Amino acid sequence: MKELFSPNARPRRVVFTTMVAAQIMLLLLLWAFYPMQMLPSLGAVLRALSELTTSQGLIPELWASMTTALQSLAVATGLALLISYLTALPFFRPIAYAASKMRYLTLTGLTFFMAILLSSGHEVKLTVLIFATTVYLVTGMTSVILTTTQEEMDHARTLGMSEWRSFWEVVVLGKLDDMLEVVRQNFAIIWTMITLVETLYQSEGGIGLLLYKQNRYLHLDGVVAIQLVILATGALQDYLFGLLRRVFFPYSELTTAR
Amino acid sequence: MTPYFYKAPVLTLEGISMTFEGEVILRDINAQVLDVCRPDMNQGQVVGFYGRSGMGKSVLCRILAGLMAPTTGRVLVGEQQEPVTPGAVGFVQQRYPLFNHRTLHDNLLVAASRKYAPEEAQQQTETYLERFQLTAHRKKYPAHLSGGQRQRAAIAQQLLCSDHLILLDEPFSGLDVAMIGEVKKIILEVTTMDELNTVVIVSHDIATTTALCDRLWLLGYERDTNGQLIPGATITADHQYNLAEMGLAWHENVEAEPEFARFVEHIKDEIRM
Ligand SMILES: Nc1ncnc2c1ncn2[C@@H]1O[C@H](COP(=O)(O)OP(=O)(O)O)[C@@H](O)[C@H]1O
Repeated sequence: MKELFSPNARPRRVVFTTMVAAQIMLLLLLWAFYPMQMLPSLGAVLRALSELTTSQGLIPELWASMTTALQSLAVATGLALLISYLTALPFFRPIAYAASKMRYLTLTGLTFFMAILLSSGHEVKLTVLIFATTVYLVTGMTSVILTTTQEEMDHARTLGMSEWRSFWEVVVLGKLDDMLEVVRQNFAIIWTMITLVETLYQSEGGIGLLLYKQNRYLHLDGVVAIQLVILATGALQDYLFGLLRRVFFPYSELTTAR
Repeated sequence: MTPYFYKAPVLTLEGISMTFEGEVILRDINAQVLDVCRPDMNQGQVVGFYGRSGMGKSVLCRILAGLMAPTTGRVLVGEQQEPVTPGAVGFVQQRYPLFNHRTLHDNLLVAASRKYAPEEAQQQTETYLERFQLTAHRKKYPAHLSGGQRQRAAIAQQLLCSDHLILLDEPFSGLDVAMIGEVKKIILEVTTMDELNTVVIVSHDIATTTALCDRLWLLGYERDTNGQLIPGATITADHQYNLAEMGLAWHENVEAEPEFARFVEHIKDEIRM
């Protein structure tokens, strides 16, 4: 027990799992028996959840949002990788700098612009998401590239590798695992944006729209239920990304402190 | 006294100086390593390279490895005495960097593939794994290797793709006595592997390094006629020692000889100056 409160301790797996389970139980019990004023009761939320699933198509809506999110993430990752790798060439450095600063643009203003440029709502939605995600990813990815040390580059050069080959070996291959980590961390941003964009382009539905409706009709239990679903999806995604990392980059866990 | 004679130069430093933003770090360095020959054996060269911290040893190493162009002068390497290019000289940096995303085997293979055709590269990799006692760890990633294993791997990697010349930056720092013995064995092995093999050791462990060397370079400052220090470190002619000539090279247990102890003390005094 004592080790749960000592810094950097490594409790046994069973102990730790039991602790987490107990904490969750406690939270649920508190919620079930001492309903707070602002939060609907556990029972109400569960009822709303089943109602949403059966009659409002929560699952397909979630799926629709998820595919849109993944689609934008895939394109944005490709774009961001390209932009960040191109910073090796001085000519392209201003682009990465500019892209990274575009984080400060507001989504609403951006949507307005895209709406003028593009015809279909779906395109606007995707473009906005891709754009916004790309700028965040570029920021994270360029900072990963900047962690490259003289020592690492010299090492590749002393093996007789050309500048390009050294870059490929040290920066591209050597830091792919860190890039995946950047993507994982920024995936959450897509979810915040997607709910917003979906309310602006309502024709295609999505979990954001569902959430918006629940909000409008003041179905607090429904709102909490959807938020929980999004939270669970996010947790699952994080887990899957962790899994991907372990499978494809078995070496990357080795260096981090545990 | 061991019979020996010299053949062609294998490494030449010609008027090297280095200035960073007006600050002179290195000044007019001229030095040469000749291929030393001993009858009936492959005898490579070992050069010890000393100097106080901050004098510019790392800068000179990077210049020797072709990673940095000097402000003036040039470095010539090999039998052909060609100007150095990156990759021509193996350079084992202080913290023994390896590719962390590749297994030990792949680290060596990627180096071997720089020089050999695929099949030959595979074969050379196996040979080096065996020779450096790394075969058991071939599937491990660098993060899982001990310091000594990393160092051996880094040396093997550089040997696999460079031609005869290899620079070791602080190979003895942070090692225990047994490990130092291991590294010494590896250096001896490298220098007896091929007649032309030349190892330059940058170290603060003067006794250990001197015991391995047949030539010593001391980086230091010169004083002008008024006794003022001249900016920029250099290797003056009397700071280039030929240990073979002094009868201190290639002795089995040279560290026990009084002559050797006196010489090491002399070197230490020179460094303190
Ligand atoms: N790229 C550089 N730009 C400017 N100054 C440098 C650079 N590299 C090294 N120096 C300077 O050269 C001097 C020698 O450094 P270094 O070679 O690292 O010393 P040593 O390896 O002998 O301890 C230091 O004063 C350092 O500030």
